[in-house]
Amino acid sequence: MPYGVKLKGLGGNDMKEFAFLPKTRDAIIASAEAKDVDGEFIINQKAKALHPDYQALTVREIIDHVDAKTYILGNEDGSPVAYFKAGQYLSLQFIIDNSIITRPYSISSSPQWSLLGKYAVTIRRNPGGFAADKIIDTLRTGDKVIASAPEGSFFYDPIRDGKSVIALAGGSGITPFLSMAYAIRDGIEDFNLTIIYGSRDDKSILFKDELKSITNDCAKVKVVHVLSEETRDDCESGFITAELISKYLPSNGTCSIFMCGPEAMYNFVGKEVEKLGIDNKFIRKELQSVTKDVASQPGYPADCKDQVYNVKLIRGNAVYEFSASANEPVLVAIERAGIAAPSRCRCGECGWCRSKLLKGNVFIPEGTDGRRKADKDYGYIHPCASFPVSDIEIEVPGVYTE
Amino acid sequence: MKKYDYIVVGAGLAGLAASVELALAQKKVLLIEQHNLPGGCSSSFVRGRFEFDPSLHELCGVGPESDPGEVRAMFDRYGIKIDWKRVDDCFRVITEDSDGNPMDVTMPAGRDAFIEKLDSYVPGYRDKIENLFRLFDEVNDGIAYVSRPKYSLPKVMIKYTDLLKVGAKKVDEVFDALELPQKIRDILSTYWSYLGVSLDSLSFAHYASMVSNYIAKGAYIPAKTSHEISVALAEKFRELGGQMIFNCRAESFIFEGDKCAGVNTTLGEFRADCVLANINPDIIYGKMMDQSLIPEREKKLSNARNRQFGGRMFTCYLGLNKTAEELGIKDYSIFMSSYADSVKEYNSLKKIDTNKYSIFLCYNVANPGFSPEGTCVCSFTKMYTSAEDWEKLSAADYFAMKERIAKEMIAQLKDKAGIDLEPYIEEISIASPWTFARYLNAPEGAVYGYETRDWDDIMSRNMSLATDYPIKGLIPIGTAGPRGDGYSSALYCGYQLASIAMSKEGK
Repeated sequence: MPYGVKLKGLGGNDMKEFAFLPKTRDAIIASAEAKDVDGEFIINQKAKALHPDYQALTVREIIDHVDAKTYILGNEDGSPVAYFKAGQYLSLQFIIDNSIITRPYSISSSPQWSLLGKYAVTIRRNPGGFAADKIIDTLRTGDKVIASAPEGSFFYDPIRDGKSVIALAGGSGITPFLSMAYAIRDGIEDFNLTIIYGSRDDKSILFKDELKSITNDCAKVKVVHVLSEETRDDCESGFITAELISKYLPSNGTCSIFMCGPEAMYNFVGKEVEKLGIDNKFIRKELQSVTKDVASQPGYPADCKDQVYNVKLIRGNAVYEFSASANEPVLVAIERAGIAAPSRCRCGECGWCRSKLLKGNVFIPEGTDGRRKADKDYGYIHPCASFPVSDIEIEVPGVYTE
Repeated sequence: MKKYDYIVVGAGLAGLAASVELALAQKKVLLIEQHNLPGGCSSSFVRGRFEFDPSLHELCGVGPESDPGEVRAMFDRYGIKIDWKRVDDCFRVITEDSDGNPMDVTMPAGRDAFIEKLDSYVPGYRDKIENLFRLFDEVNDGIAYVSRPKYSLPKVMIKYTDLLKVGAKKVDEVFDALELPQKIRDILSTYWSYLGVSLDSLSFAHYASMVSNYIAKGAYIPAKTSHEISVALAEKFRELGGQMIFNCRAESFIFEGDKCAGVNTTLGEFRADCVLANINPDIIYGKMMDQSLIPEREKKLSNARNRQFGGRMFTCYLGLNKTAEELGIKDYSIFMSSYADSVKEYNSLKKIDTNKYSIFLCYNVANPGFSPEGTCVCSFTKMYTSAEDWEKLSAADYFAMKERIAKEMIAQLKDKAGIDLEPYIEEISIASPWTFARYLNAPEGAVYGYETRDWDDIMSRNMSLATDYPIKGLIPIGTAGPRGDGYSSALYCGYQLASIAMSKEGK
């Protein structure tokens, strides 16, 4: 007895039982029904409905604003679209001049609407940009649009965030907050929301009437318009400063600051928010894009600015070669070359465009480097937030909707 | 059309290990993955300045460099370097013992330290405890011996008699035979949830190999989340000439007669001599091939298993703006449950309202550099032993339900261990069985596959290898396989079934 184990009451019969395990198993299997195997599972179906690979939607209605349009997208038969948390975005896919491009847009409608089969998104003109103006000029009612599932983590979390939220919005950055306001009005979310919304003048305020109607119906939502180029009695004037925000901070209870707007807004308002001395965990930003001025980023190799580099791209068995501007993310060069590549958030965060850099170097601004630690070790990059600083060779994954 | 020797569907750990094994054997291999990165459960995600591990608590089978376990040995053989961090304690458990009294016990790693502590909690049974550890040794040594390509049955009969006696036995039956007092059983039962089957139905040998491995060799985590493991395996596979395609979902299997000859995917058709599918057999048979091609025994096997899946997980991930020390966190893992009795606890985990189970974990206790300075990352995990409540839930109620359960778990830690996390939560993310179903396509989001219980426990599965894979050219791998669930099991399963696939081809 090398091990000297004492087992009370176990013996020869138990050894026999062990030897017979496969036979016992066989007998149980043999006695089961040979009916067809059912591969459908309710939980999986519900997960798929909440997070589809993509949604094929139709433009049902277009609403005009000053230099922007709101598109009502949905299922033609009114069946539900994927439910979401107010603040999330859809990544929409368009084909423009033979280029397949995707752009993220915050959903501006209430989550309630998704049960009725529709979303609203707003696209603002962006003169000189690659996509926005072309989309606005070409997209018509009845057109098909491929959308992602609702994505992103810019939403209110009652466990993490303050009891009140001050939302700082600039331009089309109002859209996620409009959705949050609807969600509060509709009883889906429960927090106090004060939206401080910066616009140039009264006529360029997006959703003025909608916001007014929500604040009339729901005491938990307040809206403060801040106009930079016009003075009115019912609005604040100037810019969103620390002093202005302080006026609306709640006197008691925790408060979070949410921000959404263009890069220029963050450059200014971000510094104002810092002056408030609020704990960082209560400050959240939704970036609409990576920097438009990469050369100004700390650590950027100055002599790369304005250069043009060669890109060799591998996707499955296909190889493509094209050029890329040092001033734009690699993903934009891929899109300009007409190649479908995965993209969602377009600000380095979500990792959906994760690709392998096989050769060459890229510059990744620190503030939008959302890569996994181990990915950094093995040369993976997020092309949406990586700028070429040499000729590069890159391998990208496929796209589901092809 | 390029034809491969093997196609591996699914780059979870089993698929990755199988791919590397096949590529090492000079096979032409295609690995396809529905997601945009490798790993399946073994992955990570980033929120703000934090990176979270979606599923790993701790790996069994790594062991120190001086005494490598099978996982470390496997990675050494592949030439893969992982920065392993040791977890110093086994667990702390806060529950109610079988007499109905509160129980709060902290167990260290290391065989001698564990025995010492057990003896101090329940004095007077040192001989029984040592008897149990001798049995652990015999079972482990015996299984290692019979796992060799050649072994002598007479030697097994003489040297490993007790393994033969307990081979068919459940944990509770063997604890009876060892005459362990209830208080010791209450402590030893803590790890049951890592396998998801209550101890009246779980193979003793299965439990013994895991528990004794954790105690003797210690538990480990990779320094840079479990994505570090997956990306290292994937890169090794590429280096060996393997081809890997992401965002490519297998939709159905291609058959030529009764032999599987390839896969139809969202990116087109791929052909091979043999396909290893890291997919649950219910999905393969129910959705991905013609029912008439399924052998009768396999249909009966699926029906006999009757959708009894394990590990419908719910996890709340927290990035905190204070260090573990500042928050008063000393333990790597705290198991909080209603009952030490695994049968009672298993039954309480069926419903959302009665499920009070939760494992709290702080990665920084084992790896201080896990998150940025001044912060730490924690998680709470529970599992559901029935799908029912998660099937009934509607999308509109889904987010509020996740928040409710997460709040309960955070409050439970404050109540039971005096640790208040709530004011320091900078990032939070919550995954439910729906989330795991979404990312993994596992039935019901159950990451453990079919429960390894009763007639379908891992002893029975391993002894049925000759009859369990009857379809030519198609071998399901993963948690439904001979090793069941868990990181080390999945890795070993990939290795084992790739070897079986190659030996079948050899004939």
